[in-house]
This record gives sequence, structure tokens and C-alpha cells, in this order.
Amino acid sequence: MNLLLALFMIFSNPSDKIKIVDPWMRVGAQGQATGLFFKIENNSDKADTLYKVEFEPAGLVQIHETYDAGNDMMGMREVGNIIIPAKSTVELKPGSYHVMLMKLKNDIKKGSVGNVTLFFKQAGKIMIKAEAKEMMPNQMKH
Amino acid sequence: MNKIILVVVVTFSFVFITSCYEHFPLDQDITRTQNTFLNQDSVKVEFPKIIKDKITLMAMVYTHCPDICPMTTHNMQLVQRRLPDDLKDKVKFVVISFDPNRDTPAVLKKFAEIRDITFDNWTFLTGDNQNTKEVMLKFDVKAIPADSSYDENGELSYSIIHTDRISLIDQDGRLRSNYKGSTANLDMILEDIKYLGE
Repeated sequence: MNLLLALFMIFSNPSDKIKIVDPWMRVGAQGQATGLFFKIENNSDKADTLYKVEFEPAGLVQIHETYDAGNDMMGMREVGNIIIPAKSTVELKPGSYHVMLMKLKNDIKKGSVGNVTLFFKQAGKIMIKAEAKEMMPNQMKH
Repeated sequence: MNKIILVVVVTFSFVFITSCYEHFPLDQDITRTQNTFLNQDSVKVEFPKIIKDKITLMAMVYTHCPDICPMTTHNMQLVQRRLPDDLKDKVKFVVISFDPNRDTPAVLKKFAEIRDITFDNWTFLTGDNQNTKEVMLKFDVKAIPADSSYDENGELSYSIIHTDRISLIDQDGRLRSNYKGSTANLDMILEDIKYLGE
């Protein structure tokens, strides 16, 4: 069993050069949309690119960024991919890059855990688990 | 001597009165017109009549927003949690959709319930396009449809570029301040609510 688990881990995360840190997603109701957030640490000497994300409970998954549209307005646009330069970290966080999970097939309740698959050009497929929360890390002190 | 006392009294009165008014950047009466909406239970209500005599935090959102609108709503929740006991029943929270075609009362209710929001002090409103536009105009909220795409079933999905705002309305139905919604300074909002509650 342990061998199988080890093989699974090797298969699911073929490279330790890309490390996914603190994954979480915001709670969301069936039929609506929510965001998935995490840090991507690229420990290799080559840039890598996150180009696709799979999350079965969502009817549509896209990589997005939130941007300041001026005049107190905020917008959101699909970015297609995110490049993580060599030896650097990119953070997907509220108000910035995020994975947009749309057309949710079921409620994502606080405390539930979802299986997410990330696709990188160099590191390949990386599977992670993300817990659903309703929080903004920078305001947890409140 | 009497003249000096009179000057001092007048000066202090002037300073006191102007300081009261200058606490807030806005003083706009929003009660002159009423708009009809359905609340999260599909009950027809009039806004701003439903917030009469209450201090109110109000935001306009759309439930298909994955980032900004949930952050704004969450900030309002954080303000509610930090209210002192003597103000908890004096403050109302109102969320109005600027995407009424998708945000039915049932959708708004789900949006609230998944966030553990109860409706004792919260009201979620959706209406027809005319009433929605009138409230947007009153609060200077803009919402422009943007990126659109189709899901695996061929259904259209679209995002909206929109004003990111929480508004503070006093007990007399006057708009007193606007704050950035998603990145609101919660301390400032709480101080302003306490000021109104004094």
C-alpha cells in the first residue's frame, strides 16, 4: 500500500522543482463561481508555466487575474497561463491571479476539501488538495 | 469682557458644528425616491424604506463574481463581527445585485447561506433592470459586462467590470461615506459606525 502511495506521489508530482504552498478555495454555492488560490514556488533553474487547471466539480475552470480598472472599478480577465520565473514564487491570491471555478456542480462548503490538478509545461501534472474557507489571510488579524 | 466671552462661545460653537459635519465626506439624502426589489425570500420590499432608522452598510455585487464581490461581502461580515454589543441591532447590512438576470432571490439566498450569513440584520435584494439602474445611478455604481465564455454544456458565462464599494448610510437615510469594498479599511468603517451610533 505504501509502495502504491509512493508511486502515486511520484506520478502526481514528478518534480519537486515546483512546490504548491497553502492551497485553498473560497466557499461557493452550486451554480455560482468561486476562486482557488495558492503559491507556486519554482525551485528550478528554468521558468515554468501553469497553463491548465482541472477541478471536476466546476463546469468551467479558467486562470484569471483581477485588475484595477480605474475610477474605483475592478475587473477580471482570463490570462490563459501564468509564468513562474526560475528560482521565484508567484502567488495566486484574492485581488490578483486566481483560478476561477465557474458553474459549480455542487456547493463548496467551508471545511470541504477538493482535488485539483495543475498542469505545468515543465513539471507536468501536479495534484493538490484545497480546503474551502471564507477568509482573507491579510485580515485574519481582525 | 462680555464681548470676549461671546466671541469665544461663537467660535467654539462654530468649530463644534463644523467638526460634526466634516467627519463624513458625503451628505446625500437617498430617501427621496424608493425602489422596489425582491429580497432573498422573494418578498417585495422598498429600498431605502427597509433601512429606516438604521445605520446601514450597503454594497452592490453579483454572485458569479469569484473574487471582488465575495471579498466585499466578507468585509461586511467582518465589520458585523466586530461591532460592539450596543450597536449590533442598530446596524443593517444590505447587498443589492447589479446582475438581476442571473441573481434571483434563490441565488442570492444561496450566496448568503454558503457564507453562514443569517438574515436577522442582512438583506439581499434583486430587482428589475429599471430599479437596479436607478439605485446604481443614485449610488454612482457602474457595472459593465466584460469577458464571456461558454462552459462544457454551451452555456454562456460572463464577468462584469464593476465599482468596488461599500457605502455607509446613516439613520436618517443619508449617504455619508464610500469605502473600497474588497480592500476596505475595517477600522475606519467601524469608527464611522460608532460615530453615527453615539
